[in-house]
Amino acid sequence: MSLAAEAFVSQMAAAEPWPENATLYQPLKEDQILLSDCASSLAVQTYLRMCGLPVQVACRANAEYMSPSGKVPFVHVGNQVVSELGPIVQFTKAKGHSLSDGLDDVQRAEMKAYMELVNNMLLTAELYIQWCDDATASEISRPRYSSPYSWPLNHILAYQKQWEVRRKMNAIGWGGKTLEQVCRIRSAFATSSAQFFFQPTELDALVFGHLFTILTTRLTSTELAERIKSYSNLLSFCRRIEQSYFEDKILSVSLSLFIPSLIPSL
Amino acid sequence: MKQNMATPMELRCWGSDWGLPSVHTESLIVLAYAKFSGAKVTVSPIDWTWKTLTATVPELVCGESTVTEPTQILNFMRKQRFNADYELTARQGADTMAYIALLEEKLRPALLHTFWVDAENYANLTRPWFASRSPFPLNFLVPRRHANMALSRILLTKGEAPLHRITEVEGKIYSDAKECLNLLSYRLGTANYFFGNSPASLDAFVFGFVAPLHKAGLPSSPLQSHLRQLANLTRFCDNILSVYFSSSHPGKPRPPPPVQETVDANLQKLTQLVNKESNLIEKMDDNLRSSPQHKPHRPDPKSSLANEKSSTPA
Repeated sequence: MSLAAEAFVSQMAAAEPWPENATLYQPLKEDQILLSDCASSLAVQTYLRMCGLPVQVACRANAEYMSPSGKVPFVHVGNQVVSELGPIVQFTKAKGHSLSDGLDDVQRAEMKAYMELVNNMLLTAELYIQWCDDATASEISRPRYSSPYSWPLNHILAYQKQWEVRRKMNAIGWGGKTLEQVCRIRSAFATSSAQFFFQPTELDALVFGHLFTILTTRLTSTELAERIKSYSNLLSFCRRIEQSYFEDKILSVSLSLFIPSLIPSL
Repeated sequence: MKQNMATPMELRCWGSDWGLPSVHTESLIVLAYAKFSGAKVTVSPIDWTWKTLTATVPELVCGESTVTEPTQILNFMRKQRFNADYELTARQGADTMAYIALLEEKLRPALLHTFWVDAENYANLTRPWFASRSPFPLNFLVPRRHANMALSRILLTKGEAPLHRITEVEGKIYSDAKECLNLLSYRLGTANYFFGNSPASLDAFVFGFVAPLHKAGLPSSPLQSHLRQLANLTRFCDNILSVYFSSSHPGKPRPPPPVQETVDANLQKLTQLVNKESNLIEKMDDNLRSSPQHKPHRPDPKSSLANEKSSTPA
């Protein structure tokens, strides 16, 4: 979206209150969505719940192609369609709902920095594991990603996606990394994230989305989840957010038992 | 220390100009960190050699080992006990990671664009500089190669599939970069360095990213004029340049951070013990976070967690 369009949208947004029928679109929950998309989607849902904004979740096989930026999830509010957490946060802010107003400049800088850390490390590592680890890509990612489509489109789309992600990884210098290295980077993140969270903000929503999804998702290797489990403060953080914001919902799996939940058991 | 003296470290990087020790962001990061940590590094510029094409810069050569990429080089130097991050708490170590991620995600695309994609800057500043530093016939090849890599990196990381057009992302990457500079400026405040009174690895990274933008004579750059308004960031760069890279005292050794030197002497034995535990080192060396754990009483990860836990409401 161009800057002018963005400014226009936020002007428009300010005029209208949050409607009751706002909808969040994501890929099919049962057999299509992948770890990274699920984490992003959960992050947005958590954020909207923290703001107290009602949203219905709709699963569409072609969610990725419906989204204006080609990325899921996106919300459909009134006349507008906004995708990804960052723009959604700005959008809700224009409507007068913000979680980070109470922070001073330095805290806000810190929050943004940590959000970039999540994007830079967790999200990139999730994408890497999904598409660049051959076992995961062939057993999980490609079949799931292409599940709604029939032959030969399923193969074409899945390989196209994989090629795209791999090009991106090469461009940022992740191409030659092995799975072990990536896992180590993630454990690095777990160490660092052992201490932040000032108050419920979009950062907490983002971190919760990723950690919770990793914890409750079965991959070819459970190493990542194991790493996170070894940090008890991260677990209690996840449990706390889950209890405060998702009590009534399908998400309520017992975190203490770590049974793979209804969220995608990849 | 003597052991390290025996294996001199050689750093291959792009040469100096514009009042900077190197014009290349990654090379600058490593050079600054070497100064901060007191590591003796021999700088050998790759200018006018075939290495402009073949080498991955910056590249640290120490004995048989060759390390590339700033983060890897910094880890390597930490393993050699040249650690500028001794004093940081775990929280500060985490902050360092976070701000580096911020720089990478928000500032780097705009910097690449400013230097390599923006037609005016590329034709008048970047291409002439790199072409003049590359031997014939590489002077035709090297700048274009860098420019292509920069463009494809911006498109792949920031472009929106499937169109991938540069004009669509320009506005976004510049507004992101300006926001990033603002955030850094807020974070720095009136302090000399990001954490306390001595520079650490985050300072090296910020310096590497911001200094070229501050010093380069770019014909057109909205980002540069934005930076000019953030007085504390430009002062930060000038301060590091004058304290650590001042050419007016060429023979004078850098005044080492006194605290670290005394600690260094006291710790030598302990550090050697730690060095023996290669396993431990392996775990420690691969990320910035490990830096605070180079302290003598390196806490067991579990026990440090237990401490954290007690401060976190369950």
